[in-house]
Amino acid sequence: MTTTTDRSGAGRPSTDDPRVMLDEDLGVFEPIPPYPPRTEREAEFYTLRDGEMLLNMGPQHPSTHGVLRVVLKIDGEKVVDLDPVLGYLHRGVEKLCENADYHQAICYLDPLEYVSSLFCEWPGVMAFEKLLDVQVPRRAEYIRVLSAELNRVASHALFLGWMALDLGGLTPILWSFIERDEIVDMLASLTGQRMLFNYFRIGGVNGDLNHDFMSRLGDWMSHATEQIEAGNTLLNENEIFVRRMRGLGTIDSTTALRMAFSGPNLRATGVPFDVRRAHPYSIYPELDFDIPTRSEGDCFARYLLRMDEIKQSLRIIDQCLHQMPDGPIIAKLPRLLRPRPGRAYAGIEGPRGQYAAYVMSDGTDQPFRMRIHDPSFIHLQAVGLMMPGHLIADTMAVMASLDPIMGGVDK
Amino acid sequence: MDRAFKARLEGRFGDQLTGPIRQRHDESEMRIAAGDVTQVLAALHDEPAFRFEFLADLAGVDTGEVMQVVYHLWSDSTSDWLRVIADGLSREDPRVPSVTFLWKGAEWMEREAYDMFGITFEGNRDLRRIYMPPDYTSFPLRKDFYLADDAARSPGGGVRPMERTHAPHGAPATANVRRSGG
Repeated sequence: MTTTTDRSGAGRPSTDDPRVMLDEDLGVFEPIPPYPPRTEREAEFYTLRDGEMLLNMGPQHPSTHGVLRVVLKIDGEKVVDLDPVLGYLHRGVEKLCENADYHQAICYLDPLEYVSSLFCEWPGVMAFEKLLDVQVPRRAEYIRVLSAELNRVASHALFLGWMALDLGGLTPILWSFIERDEIVDMLASLTGQRMLFNYFRIGGVNGDLNHDFMSRLGDWMSHATEQIEAGNTLLNENEIFVRRMRGLGTIDSTTALRMAFSGPNLRATGVPFDVRRAHPYSIYPELDFDIPTRSEGDCFARYLLRMDEIKQSLRIIDQCLHQMPDGPIIAKLPRLLRPRPGRAYAGIEGPRGQYAAYVMSDGTDQPFRMRIHDPSFIHLQAVGLMMPGHLIADTMAVMASLDPIMGGVDK
Repeated sequence: MDRAFKARLEGRFGDQLTGPIRQRHDESEMRIAAGDVTQVLAALHDEPAFRFEFLADLAGVDTGEVMQVVYHLWSDSTSDWLRVIADGLSREDPRVPSVTFLWKGAEWMEREAYDMFGITFEGNRDLRRIYMPPDYTSFPLRKDFYLADDAARSPGGGVRPMERTHAPHGAPATANVRRSGG
């Protein structure tokens, strides 16, 4: 029998009393859905055994890199299972592209992954070019590769900072932003935008290389290697970081292929799959670079692999600058494009894995179907495989090491 | 374009193909019936002559008349992307076997196709909505889902049936839908 002080005198318990609040059914904070389980997996997940409880992480949790909610099933401090809940950032980009014409659709692709926008534009533009049978001028291809590899370095630099931040280290993000800002300012002088570039066009690029860009690039290239090395030494030999990351979130090569992994996360398990070499596009066959791989498949391997990739990207940028041909930067095309009916698929290697676009044309000036494939979406579903048995705090470390961007996950 | 690969596909899957194998640029395209998905994709994945171990993409398609599920695969045995189209799913109750027994990573892609097109993947353990809220009832990427947005008007085309702010009154669900070309 509760002894509630009835100050209102109306015969019902006062809401001032905290015990009254506790008695009320607050459905908002209840992680269990208010409906019967819809699938086998959902029924299994939301059935709690003795000692287990559910914990919501997100959607406003800072370490989720956006708005992602993860329902964790925990036993004490150990994660038993988890269920990511998506859709908080869903904008329906595919539908928007299907209602825009071919030129307009490109700018919808940028905000998918705001950290590496050029890699979202590229497959879309490439698929349109395939539909139209357009030959891209060689100078345009070189400019594309040059700007995209710069974007890859910026993305990997930010990955380093973010991952350290998720683990509680504040210094690396300040260092990595120095580098990222230099690149982003450089790309701003080339494309006119810092983040959402909208630079690639069907048949080429929007603008030619300018003096401001070239002088900034020259300055940066002269000290890029040392700067990156300096950033790496913050973490590579940091015992706290290494011991935390090693052996965490391990995945083997067979499982990674079954999970449809690509990019650095797949190469960290020992599979040398890189779309630039496996299915060459653009001018990559003419360039000399290596595909770094590692065999451990844990968080530390994924981190080291990205650091190796930065060095390869610098090699590519250097070659692009030396081999840059003269010529036009865009193919001549009519304003209104009506590709003949057909289907096209284009996949490229981005900083997170394979970005792809699948386009169907029905002969009008709008894509009939535009499908966007984003690697972040694929990689995020593997967190559930990697986490069981690890601590709650390691969820952030594992997710950060997979480097998902929620804009791409939610499309 | 890998001509020898076309011959290999025709030799192996000749009786299961529902259309000619098309090749353009760096892509080969084969069409199969929805019922053959399990058999054909397992053969492509497992047989040493094909080794399609990498699932590059899985997409649902609504052509306005039928539903399709499109798989893109990569293998080191050919220089082409392979596109497998599971064709002829009915728009009323589209059903296709799940490929999660080959690629567990297809689970979320199938959930997405279910969420956007209402395609049921038989054998997927977790087929619920992934982007839209659980109580949502429409399938947004279907061609009879109209976009109420004037900004979507294209400069050359004028107002298209697709861009109407509402479905024409009394029209059947598939009316005024642009026909697929591919």
